[in-house]
Amino acid sequence: MPLSTPARIVSELASRGYNAEREAVTKLADAPDPERALDRAVETMPDDALKLTAGHVEAVLDRAESRADATAGSQRAAEQENGETATRDPSVSTGTDSGVSPDAGGDVPHETKGSRDVDLSKRAIEVANDMTGNSTGTGEYSDFVSVFRDRYEKLASKLRGRVNHRPTDAIENMAGGSEAALIGMVSDIRSTASGHWLVELEDTNGTFPCLVMKDRPIADLVQQLLLDEVIAVDGTLADDSGILFVDSLHFPDVPRTHSPSTADRHVQAALISDVHVGSQEFMADAWHRFTDWLHTAEAEHVEYLLIAGDMVEGVGIYPDQDEELDIIDIYEQYEQFSEYLKEVPGDMEIRMIPGNHDAVRLAEPQPGFDEELRDIMTAHDATVHSNPALVTVEGVTVLMYHGVSLDEVIAELPDEEASYDDPHKAMYQLLKKRHVAPQYGGHTRLAPEDRDYLVIEEVPDVFHTGHVHKLGWGKYHNVLALNSGCWQAQTDFQKSVNIDPDAGFAPILDLDTLDMTVRKFA
Amino acid sequence: MREADEQYFETLETELESAMDVAQRARQRGGDPKPEVEIPTARDMADRVENILGIDGVAERVRELEGQMSREEAALELVDDFVEGTVGDYDTREGKVEGAVRTAVALLTEGVVAAPIEGIDRVELLENDDGTEFINVYYAGPIRSAGGTAQALSVLVADYARALLGIDQYKAREEEIGRYAEEIDLYDKDTGLQYSPKEKETKFIAEHMPIMLDGEATGDEEVSGYRDLERVDSNSARGGMCLVLAEGIALKAPKIQRYTRNLDEVDWPWLQDLIDGTIGKDGEADSKDDGDQSDDASEDADGDDGGDEDSAEQAGPPRVDPAKKYLRDLIAGRPVFSHPSKSGGFRLRYGRARNHGFATAGVHPATMHLVDDFLATGTQIKTERPGKAAGVVPVDTIEGPTVRLANGDVRRIDDAEEALEVRNGVEKILDLGEYLVNYGEFVENNHPLAPASYTVEWWEQDFAAAGADVQAMRDSPTVDLADPSAEEALEWASEYDAPLHPKYTYLWHDVTVDQMGALADAIDEGQVAQTDGARETRPPDASRNGERGASGASRRGSDPRAADGDLVLPRTDDAQAALERLLVEHVQDEDRLVVPDWLPLVRTLGFDRSLEREWTIEDLSDRAKTYGEQEAADAIGYVDDELGDEAGRNAVLAVNEVSPFEIRERAPTRIGNRMGRPEKSERRDLSPAVHTLFPIGEAGGAQRSVADATKHADSMSETPGRVDVEVARRRCPDCGTETHEARCPECDAVAETVYVCPDCEMEVEPDESGRAECGRCETLASPTQYTELDVREIYRDALQSVGERETAFDTLKAVKGLTSEEKLPEPMEKGILRAKHDVSAFKDGTVRYDMTDLPVTAVRPAELDVDPDRLRHLGYETDIHGDPLTHADQLVELKVQDIVLSDGAAEHMLQTAAFVDDLLEQYYGLEPYYEFDDREELVGELVFGMAPHTSAATVGRVVGFTSAAVGYAHPYFHAAKRRNCFHPETKVWYEDEADDWHYGTIEELVESRLDDPETDDFGTLVEELDGDLAVPSLGDDGPCRRPVEAVSRHRAPDHLVRIEVGDRTLRVTPDHTMLRAGESGVKEVRASEIERGDALPAYDGGETTMTGAGATVPVADGAGVPTDAVTAVEYVESDVEFVYCLTVADTHRVAVEGTYVGQCDGDEDCVMLLMDGLLNFSKSYLPNKRGGQMDAPLVMSSRIDPSEIDDEAHNMDIMDRYPREFYEATRELADPAEVEDIMTIAEETLGTDREYTDFRHTHDTTDLAAGPDLSAYKTLGSMEEKMDAQLSLSRKLRAVVESDVAERIIEYHFLPDLIGNLRAFSRQEVRCLDCGESFRRMPLTGDCRECGGRVNLTVHEGSVTKYIDTAIRVADEFGARDYTKQRLKILETKIESVFENDHNKQSGIADFM
Repeated sequence: MPLSTPARIVSELASRGYNAEREAVTKLADAPDPERALDRAVETMPDDALKLTAGHVEAVLDRAESRADATAGSQRAAEQENGETATRDPSVSTGTDSGVSPDAGGDVPHETKGSRDVDLSKRAIEVANDMTGNSTGTGEYSDFVSVFRDRYEKLASKLRGRVNHRPTDAIENMAGGSEAALIGMVSDIRSTASGHWLVELEDTNGTFPCLVMKDRPIADLVQQLLLDEVIAVDGTLADDSGILFVDSLHFPDVPRTHSPSTADRHVQAALISDVHVGSQEFMADAWHRFTDWLHTAEAEHVEYLLIAGDMVEGVGIYPDQDEELDIIDIYEQYEQFSEYLKEVPGDMEIRMIPGNHDAVRLAEPQPGFDEELRDIMTAHDATVHSNPALVTVEGVTVLMYHGVSLDEVIAELPDEEASYDDPHKAMYQLLKKRHVAPQYGGHTRLAPEDRDYLVIEEVPDVFHTGHVHKLGWGKYHNVLALNSGCWQAQTDFQKSVNIDPDAGFAPILDLDTLDMTVRKFA
Repeated sequence: MREADEQYFETLETELESAMDVAQRARQRGGDPKPEVEIPTARDMADRVENILGIDGVAERVRELEGQMSREEAALELVDDFVEGTVGDYDTREGKVEGAVRTAVALLTEGVVAAPIEGIDRVELLENDDGTEFINVYYAGPIRSAGGTAQALSVLVADYARALLGIDQYKAREEEIGRYAEEIDLYDKDTGLQYSPKEKETKFIAEHMPIMLDGEATGDEEVSGYRDLERVDSNSARGGMCLVLAEGIALKAPKIQRYTRNLDEVDWPWLQDLIDGTIGKDGEADSKDDGDQSDDASEDADGDDGGDEDSAEQAGPPRVDPAKKYLRDLIAGRPVFSHPSKSGGFRLRYGRARNHGFATAGVHPATMHLVDDFLATGTQIKTERPGKAAGVVPVDTIEGPTVRLANGDVRRIDDAEEALEVRNGVEKILDLGEYLVNYGEFVENNHPLAPASYTVEWWEQDFAAAGADVQAMRDSPTVDLADPSAEEALEWASEYDAPLHPKYTYLWHDVTVDQMGALADAIDEGQVAQTDGARETRPPDASRNGERGASGASRRGSDPRAADGDLVLPRTDDAQAALERLLVEHVQDEDRLVVPDWLPLVRTLGFDRSLEREWTIEDLSDRAKTYGEQEAADAIGYVDDELGDEAGRNAVLAVNEVSPFEIRERAPTRIGNRMGRPEKSERRDLSPAVHTLFPIGEAGGAQRSVADATKHADSMSETPGRVDVEVARRRCPDCGTETHEARCPECDAVAETVYVCPDCEMEVEPDESGRAECGRCETLASPTQYTELDVREIYRDALQSVGERETAFDTLKAVKGLTSEEKLPEPMEKGILRAKHDVSAFKDGTVRYDMTDLPVTAVRPAELDVDPDRLRHLGYETDIHGDPLTHADQLVELKVQDIVLSDGAAEHMLQTAAFVDDLLEQYYGLEPYYEFDDREELVGELVFGMAPHTSAATVGRVVGFTSAAVGYAHPYFHAAKRRNCFHPETKVWYEDEADDWHYGTIEELVESRLDDPETDDFGTLVEELDGDLAVPSLGDDGPCRRPVEAVSRHRAPDHLVRIEVGDRTLRVTPDHTMLRAGESGVKEVRASEIERGDALPAYDGGETTMTGAGATVPVADGAGVPTDAVTAVEYVESDVEFVYCLTVADTHRVAVEGTYVGQCDGDEDCVMLLMDGLLNFSKSYLPNKRGGQMDAPLVMSSRIDPSEIDDEAHNMDIMDRYPREFYEATRELADPAEVEDIMTIAEETLGTDREYTDFRHTHDTTDLAAGPDLSAYKTLGSMEEKMDAQLSLSRKLRAVVESDVAERIIEYHFLPDLIGNLRAFSRQEVRCLDCGESFRRMPLTGDCRECGGRVNLTVHEGSVTKYIDTAIRVADEFGARDYTKQRLKILETKIESVFENDHNKQSGIADFM
């Protein structure tokens, strides 16, 4: 097996029980004959060293009179190539991280605790639904229409099996009093003077009014409806065929029979969110405790770190934000975040999506970082996917979504269905609707793309969000819904509205059992 | 009252009566709703109290007691009455207590607030644990409006009643005491208290309180401990109780104590402990003022006298702290004239010019021109102090601006003409000149006096105090005390040991000690130019030299630029900076600085006449060297580079150490300001303008043209000109003819309204209260009918009746439908004549003209464009000095009800007069009344003046005209204000003082801020705010955020208009200004004019909301705002007692319930011609009964009683000279009240003979209308043009930091716009291009659901990206902060990310657009 990529080198080194500096790996990769260079380097390593250093490799290469060209550019190119390989072809059992803990003699003391003994070859990660670099919408009316049509089609296909859908224009022409069913996007919900619910459903042919009588048990379901979600109803047409009296109402939903996939080995992932570096309230100490802990034996199986957005506090998110910023420069915020990320063991696989505080567009789907930001975030390859993105970790699919729509779900739905204290319950609703942000025109913003990236097409095994700074998790039809807390202490704003954030928690997920433990670092 | 005043009022009243006679005769003839002029009357305070309480006998008792004692004492006195049962009809003991408590609160709040009714829920008798009874007073939230004193006194009254009734005291349980403490703390955190008592304090009060304070729950927050108490109903905070305990008892303890001392039955000894603060109080309760007082500056008044070393511990000169609040929410296009307290800005001078009164600022006309005409008479500016805003008035007896021209000349411009000449050559405005503010303004705003400029009026008094015979000098023809020669000034200074004359006192406090040293060094090397101007030598002999110096000023400007005798200095940066900062006039070239009239300068610097000095910079004392440290950085955090180190930034001590005479601080206080609203003078038209209040339905087209209506037919088969409308149903009492008109068309008798039940169609007789309810169906009978009117015939008859042809006018515009209850149409004849004279009708039938108010107390016939003879006829016999009035330039004191019209108003009044004459002649068949040929004849005529949203008009008399776009009138002429408002439950978004966003009812918003409101005669409470509260608003170029200047509460009218927009409803008073979106943008219309289907601009979310957006319409300049359509409009019975309003800075618009609406206008009065008002006003035209009665002249006062007008006018000072002690007090930053004794304000003459006269002023001005007629803001075109002018001005002004201006424009204008529009884009509505239907979301079919037409976006890329380039350009060009630049950059990428295809990248946003 040729050792042409850093990843392979790392994996090779690991298999021989060595850890290596990132730079060392790069130098090896750039050597004319990496395999031989590696052999030699390992042979000549001092016995007590656990880590292959750049200096050492250089010495080896020098001796071989094959000085490597180790410019930053080629280094990054190599890393990138590696990342892509992994993404494209995850079945190849290779590690994906070129870097191992930055430095044995580095300036961050805890990193001297040395590397962790992990088998990178067993790792597998796959990402779907990432629209980074593929944003094709240009803000035309037709773009919006395609998105909604795509949403309708995708969700309608989930409902087709349950009802016998008749197009709205066909229903109009049906005989009064006959049974009819309809799959439609909710375009309006009103209560009538007598307290019944009038739900207007829309399909690609037009709209049709559906009446839900207040005394029917399904009336409660109307309370859970959000505009622009897609549902199916069946019922009886009125005598003039002008309205459908609804007998039953269906959501696309997650099948009760859903059985989640699990990893083949005992491996864990830390699912965190809302780091907010740059804020005066960022809890650096808690973060340090968290990263320290990752170096302990207890955390030896934590090989993945998933961050659901709001890596930094951002700039201009709210008026006069600069007065509450610890780091005023947005790029420095990312540099600092990158520094904090370096505290994480070098072998950890990190995947992130942006949130509403990050320096990307706020309209969803949000693309991952652009080149400028990627260049800043050098640590751990900083793979940032779009929000939302579907990340499959050793077989376990994790739907990562930042969670801006949760505010709306919580505001619109009755307290017992969704509240800030139980953010996961709001997530159940999204799973039920099979869409991460159904309601258009309100709190969540939409950027039209060629399709609706916000639809939950495939049932995930884990649904991971953040944004509301509250910790909450639970299972919905066997899907683990998790809202991780945050790493930002209570802000003045939160104080004023009496939101007490759950800060400094790191939920740790067993990928083989989907059991979760929450560790507190605050 | 003086004879003359009596005569004056009699003249007015006689004139009024004769006009009334004519009007009465006319009204008897015509087709008006009532055969007489319609005027009702007002009531007094005692009445109001009784009415609000509904307790008989209170008014009588209050009137009895009123003369004998204070209101507080009367309230206690009334307790006896209640207990004895002589007042009020209460049987139970708790009832008596309740009556007494309510009455006390009503009395103390003058019967204008809801507190006595809504604030006290009930009084109960409960049982103590020992079985005795106690009183429980149950308060509710609205008790807040009573204010602390009344709240506290209500407790006292309850206790007093308790004592009289022999009920025991309340004995609080342990847990109840704890509950009070926890609850008040909770309420304070949740809602906020003005005063937060310490836990110990609360417990102390609760323990000792002889009655129980209880109340209803006002918040959702619940206490965590002390829950579920037996005697406390709720676990939530009880707002009313908390207020009474904290802001009442705890805060007002000293006041209560005053009254408890007088009562034998009541003894609250524990109050003393509370007052002494021995129970854990900080004693900080009262020291909440702005902290304007700098710690150590108070005693520094003579600290710089000759540089005595006795006060070495004092660090700096007396200064007020810079305040930057006025800079908030800066708008593009409205320039900053000076940053806070920055050198180079306006210099505070004390005094009152004759066109100066309250909320005004005197500015030199030359300054107005030099700031590129942005300031004009009447332009409102936001100012640093003493108030928040002021109207600019031209005053040319103060110093003008100092400028540096492109050729290096530094000149002070004291003449408007000269300002215009040099304006193009101005490179830098080194100083904006003086800024005249009167003492009264400081009183009104309760602002500590700021150190005064050293001016002639002060110096003269110093000079006299030093022993000079100032009077003799003043009388001497050879001496000009205000403008002495250098020789004279120097002689006086040394001879009398007086401070140097201000003319030669330079601004030493603005230069550093280093700069002063550099200037002295330059003088060391300087030479005096010789006769031929070619050679410069040291002066051969001192005396000759001095003469030259004194006369040098007239000879500059020639080349070589140094004239004979001028001082020529080598040019160094420091010396030049020093001269410029000192404001020493000079010229300069490459290497020389040439100073004419230099002798006082060099003498001040300790040189003798031969330019020798005997000191060096090292000789200065340490204190002088380091003086002025405290001025290091200004309020906006900007450090002036020129000034370098922090120490020694003020050379005034240093110069006093080297100078042979005393040098005072020339201009220690600089006042920052920026432009607010432009001035206003325009006719008031409805939108669209109408000529007649006659309904023609849709037949008149969009123009509502009557001529079109006569030709209109819905179909070919119909007769043209017949329209179906809803009009009055009336019947002639004499001949029984049915009609829709006011008069019987057959016999001309006044017809009576016929009420018909809508259900059973039976006629119903109205009862005494005018209510007509069908006895059978119990429904309200209607006074109107739907009928078909033949507009063609009515039109033809009307034309014939007034003898006019259709060619006499362009278009006669009518209304679509009538909004009044009875829907009585106005006779169309009136409309024809209005159209003929191009005047339009307001909703009440009157013709109006709006003008910005400015005060003036003395005028010259010349500036008013009237002949002195004419004024003599009007009773102006003598000028202010008592000399007979003969010349046009003599100054006469303005009489209180006389007003000066703007040219535009005069023109409009002439048109109105012509209309009225025609009306009398051609319609009523009477003699014409006015018969004006030219406008001079308007002088002496009576008009109605009305403040916005009042219901009372004041009679005024025209005395002249001004070219300024303002209405000048006596300060007393300004009436109380009453505004249009929102229903209390109206929800608004607002950002509170802590910068947190809230979405709550306007009631909460306003009530919680009515801490110390002012009241007016209509029961309105107004509280001015500091501008920390902001609301989303809509500016000329789109959505923005604006501070709230004031909140107010008003008595609700009987009806409100309920407007449904989408799923939201809005209830406002019928007159409320709404914004309606049309094709040409957003127009302001009255709520009563809104119709179903109208598009209203929608609030698309601003920073925080979640509401939807709709179709976009342009506001102006292509800026867009989404709109929502009105789905229903109806009049509803008002179910509330009060309505609420906000005054929003600048834009006067606010977003409520997801819709942008107008708020009310500020200081604009409107005028109406008297006869027009008398003839054409009718209440019957007003929307729905008394609903739309604001802004209508329901009451008319024919004479002003100064005691009854707004206090604001009483605080105006009326002296012709401020005493020396006043000036000295300003240097001690004294409170204005401290100098009250030595000052005279108008209040002192109230109720005396002199109450209408002796309004003296300290400063004259040549022309009331000097300076530009219109602000550049009004003459410049687009927003971008205005902004460029604003930025280029900011570069010119030394007092302005241009980067800060740019920053603020970006921050408050561009960024919100960009962010808002980007947000709006991603959640916009769409609209059908064909049928106009809008959809919340894009239809899945892609086409219109209604008509199948093409649907398109309402927020386009263009409106999102509109400002990004400009913003980035401004940020780069004017050096905005990196933070701001980054925000813009990130925003740009966000925009790109939405609008750009990753697979088809454009190289930049510019290509992309």
